[in-house]
Amino acid sequence: MKGRLKERESKLKTKEEKIVTEREVDVEEEDAHEIPSGSDYSDEDFDEDNGTLTESGSEQSEFSEDEEIDNTSDGDGSTDGDYSLQDHSGTVDDISQQDQNDDHSHQEPKESDEDHRGVEESDSSEDEVAPLNTVGDVPLEWYRDEEHIGYDISGKKIKKKERQDKLDSFLASADDSKNWRKIYDEYNDEEVELTKHETKLISRLLKGKAPHANFDPHAPYVDWFAWEDSKHPLSNAPEPKRRFIPSKWESKKINIDPESLKPKLPSRKDLKPYPTTCYLEYRGHKGAVLSISTEASGEWIASGSSDGTIRVWEVETGRCLRVWELGEAVQHVAWNPSSDLPILAVSAGQDVFLLNTGFGNEEEQKRIKELLHVEARTGPDDSNNTASIVSWAQDDKHEGVRIKHFKTVSSVEWHRKGDYFSTVMPSGESRAILIHQLSKKISQRIPFKLHGLPVSSAFHPTRSVFFVSTKKNVRVYDLVKQKSVKKLETGLREVSSIAIHPGGDNVIVGSREGKLCWFDMDLSSQPYRILKCHPKDITNVAFHRSYPLFASCSDDCTAYVFHGMVYSDLNQNPLIVPLEILRGHTSSNGRGVMDCKFHPRQPWLFTAGADSVIRLFCH
Amino acid sequence: MDINGDVEEFSRRIQVRFITKLKSPLKVPSSSIALPSNLTRMGLSALINNLLQAGNADWKPEPFDFLINGELVRMSLEEFLLAKGISAEKILEIEYIKAVAPRREEESSLHDDWVSAADGSNPEFIVTGCYDGLGRIWKAAGLCSHVLEGHSAAVTSVSIIKPKGVESSTAVSIATASKDRTLRLWKFDVEESFDHPKKIRAYKILTGHNASVQSVTAQPSGDMVCSGSWDCRIKLWQTNELDKGGDSVSIKKRKMDNEDEESQSQGEAVSTLVGHTQCVSSVVWPESESVYSASWDHSIRRWDVETGKDSLNMFCGKAINCLDIGGEGSSLIAAGGSDSIIRIWDPRKPGTLAPIFQFSSHTSWISACKWHKKSWFHLASASYDGKVMLWDLRTAWPLAVIDSHKDKVLCADWWRGDSVISGGVDSKLCISSAISV
Repeated sequence: MKGRLKERESKLKTKEEKIVTEREVDVEEEDAHEIPSGSDYSDEDFDEDNGTLTESGSEQSEFSEDEEIDNTSDGDGSTDGDYSLQDHSGTVDDISQQDQNDDHSHQEPKESDEDHRGVEESDSSEDEVAPLNTVGDVPLEWYRDEEHIGYDISGKKIKKKERQDKLDSFLASADDSKNWRKIYDEYNDEEVELTKHETKLISRLLKGKAPHANFDPHAPYVDWFAWEDSKHPLSNAPEPKRRFIPSKWESKKINIDPESLKPKLPSRKDLKPYPTTCYLEYRGHKGAVLSISTEASGEWIASGSSDGTIRVWEVETGRCLRVWELGEAVQHVAWNPSSDLPILAVSAGQDVFLLNTGFGNEEEQKRIKELLHVEARTGPDDSNNTASIVSWAQDDKHEGVRIKHFKTVSSVEWHRKGDYFSTVMPSGESRAILIHQLSKKISQRIPFKLHGLPVSSAFHPTRSVFFVSTKKNVRVYDLVKQKSVKKLETGLREVSSIAIHPGGDNVIVGSREGKLCWFDMDLSSQPYRILKCHPKDITNVAFHRSYPLFASCSDDCTAYVFHGMVYSDLNQNPLIVPLEILRGHTSSNGRGVMDCKFHPRQPWLFTAGADSVIRLFCH
Repeated sequence: MDINGDVEEFSRRIQVRFITKLKSPLKVPSSSIALPSNLTRMGLSALINNLLQAGNADWKPEPFDFLINGELVRMSLEEFLLAKGISAEKILEIEYIKAVAPRREEESSLHDDWVSAADGSNPEFIVTGCYDGLGRIWKAAGLCSHVLEGHSAAVTSVSIIKPKGVESSTAVSIATASKDRTLRLWKFDVEESFDHPKKIRAYKILTGHNASVQSVTAQPSGDMVCSGSWDCRIKLWQTNELDKGGDSVSIKKRKMDNEDEESQSQGEAVSTLVGHTQCVSSVVWPESESVYSASWDHSIRRWDVETGKDSLNMFCGKAINCLDIGGEGSSLIAAGGSDSIIRIWDPRKPGTLAPIFQFSSHTSWISACKWHKKSWFHLASASYDGKVMLWDLRTAWPLAVIDSHKDKVLCADWWRGDSVISGGVDSKLCISSAISV
């Protein structure tokens, strides 16, 4: 220990001597304060005895002893601040002495500084040597034309050094092999020579490595806290509660697999048959086909178009069998539901026509002709007020009956027995919905107050119940008791169509905003399901008579087919499964598919398009 | 053969021996030949033609079709052997037959309206039914000899009633079914020929159906006809003029009025087969004791004529439009309907109702399918996609596609064993002839 101390001392001594000589030269030229000292020496230190430095790291205490020895005259600490204070106190006279001290005091903290760094890599700015210049962080070009580069700590100007001219600097560089390591420090107006160590540091930094060569960034982890015979945990505190209860945010999170939230729907394959492919087209209309209706047996289909014609087609081949020219856009066609009365009810403009299609055998034809015979009424003596609403008249041109209404008729619906039918005049106000009886040829308005504009009407498939849909709601009336039974609140903006399940307890309602509501009337007057599938207006909805299918068609040129199973078990809710999107129609004047009807016996769907084509989609 | 034993070739070679059941000018030497394995049907056909030409200088090339292990070759030999797992080491026996395809398209016979029905079961003439309510007899393409006048609505089906042995072969009876809910029976003399088509009237009107009659077929013996209708019923009718249903007055009248104004007797059904729940679209009567029927209620049934009960009830999932019995042992059921697949069932197979063959090259509804009368393998089909196709049970691809119609084809049948007749929405009757089955 002693020997080493000695060695150290001697080393320092030699260093001091060296410094002194240099300083003396300096002092001759310039003010002592201008000379940057610490950095230089530490540089030297690094440069020359790197080994010592690392050694000294472990000998800090000795070093401070050294300090003590060296700085006895001053008797002060080794921090920078102290140094500068001391600097102040020093007089100009003992510059050299001061200088010496200065240097020492400067150097030593510097060294210790470095030592610290070696151990704990201090980043503290206090460890750095304060620059001589005190101008701070101002653009140095402000001093470009001045004689000084700034001020020292006591406010004196620090003069600029004389600049080496180019030639000299070149010669110097040529002579000095270390010239490439010299950097001009503009702030302190001096040349700094980087030590080898520093260049190594820089080159290592440039390579992206740790600056110190002996620093291993991937040192194996040493677990200081676990050893083989450790009996007790570091902390004997019980597990905190928060470890096993969900945190505030975790408890808010819903930890459910989204797939499991999907309703368990049966596969489409198991729900066959349903219409999928268009095989047949019925072409012939010149305008948009607004309405279609299938005959009870499914052999024929009738269609009404905006070109003012009604056509009857053979389903099997697509042949147009018969055409009636009404001259006015046909809004609605409806076959009489009874198979022995092949009569078509047609609404066109303000008229409703009952047309004899000519099907059926002789007896049936005879009966139809009798039914469709209207005796010319003597108008005045008919005091009944219904006479003023509509007038029944024979129409020989079309072999049928013409029932003249006072407003445009939008739809005609038959009662299941084929004797009564209802007509809807949306602008007819209190007489908007009329019920006509074919056998007696009388018409009457429904004895209920309508709330809102009626859109369409439908008869219950088994009971004497009548459905009227207004723009917002569907009202259910009992025709026998003559009172309103139920009001189905659709919550829709504008209802466009309504269809009754053949069981009679479920209703689907299509709306102009593309939503389809399924009502289970036993369940609630609110929709059981709202299906939002069409991007555009739903024009019509339909139920299949025997298969558990329903469909909606829309102005987006598609028709959707759904599986809609209604169970006889009242505890089981209806099952709705979307099955197929039927495409094929093209848009015409912004309208798409105007009507859809199921084949009465096959799982097939007819769609009537604004593109004047009727398509048949088969399973 | 000079190619025989050639070792230095690049592509693989297969030892092949050609055999055939064809007659002598079409026979090739039965020695084995080494053939490159990438030969297709075309190459094989050219080879056979070359071989035949070697033996017979004025041989005209003809297309052939090739069978390996009872299957028609529809790809290169190598692919075929790979697909079927046949060893290429042994000498391969390839049977060749004449390719089944129409070689000639005869002039189409124009009708006034859609041609809805055609029957070619008599080699002398063709009967067609038309949407204008008339039936027509065609002696040849474009040569109409008789017009059957009387139906008030479209004729949906026609059937030639096989002449009974006792009657002279020149008098032929025909049954037609119509959408006017009646069937009519007609009689005419085949030998007669006129410059203008002769109009004839039905000798018997069969009434009783409540809706359009979709299909009519005659018993093989010719005594009865059977009809299927939209009223879901199948009715059997007597064809003879002197049946008890017709009133005797009309018969007397007929005798007095001589040939000029033939009286029409009314006939009623002998029996009604009830069971179908929807339109009976097609009936076939292949043997005198059983009638097959196909319906839109998705079932095909076999009825025992004696008891009136259905002895077979096959559910097949689609509305069936057409039905024919034929093929192997005249017992395979071919049917097509409301999709683009022709299905063939073998009712003799116990336990299963799965079709044994499915042909799906059509793209729309099948409107007709007919077995070839002589061949066990050949089938003609017509579809709403406007195509008539010929099929061989030994391959899944159509043998030939006849594309002569511009619109839906509504009916098709074989004629004279070597022609296919077809009628459709374009009001034409097309005859594709010279098919060497």
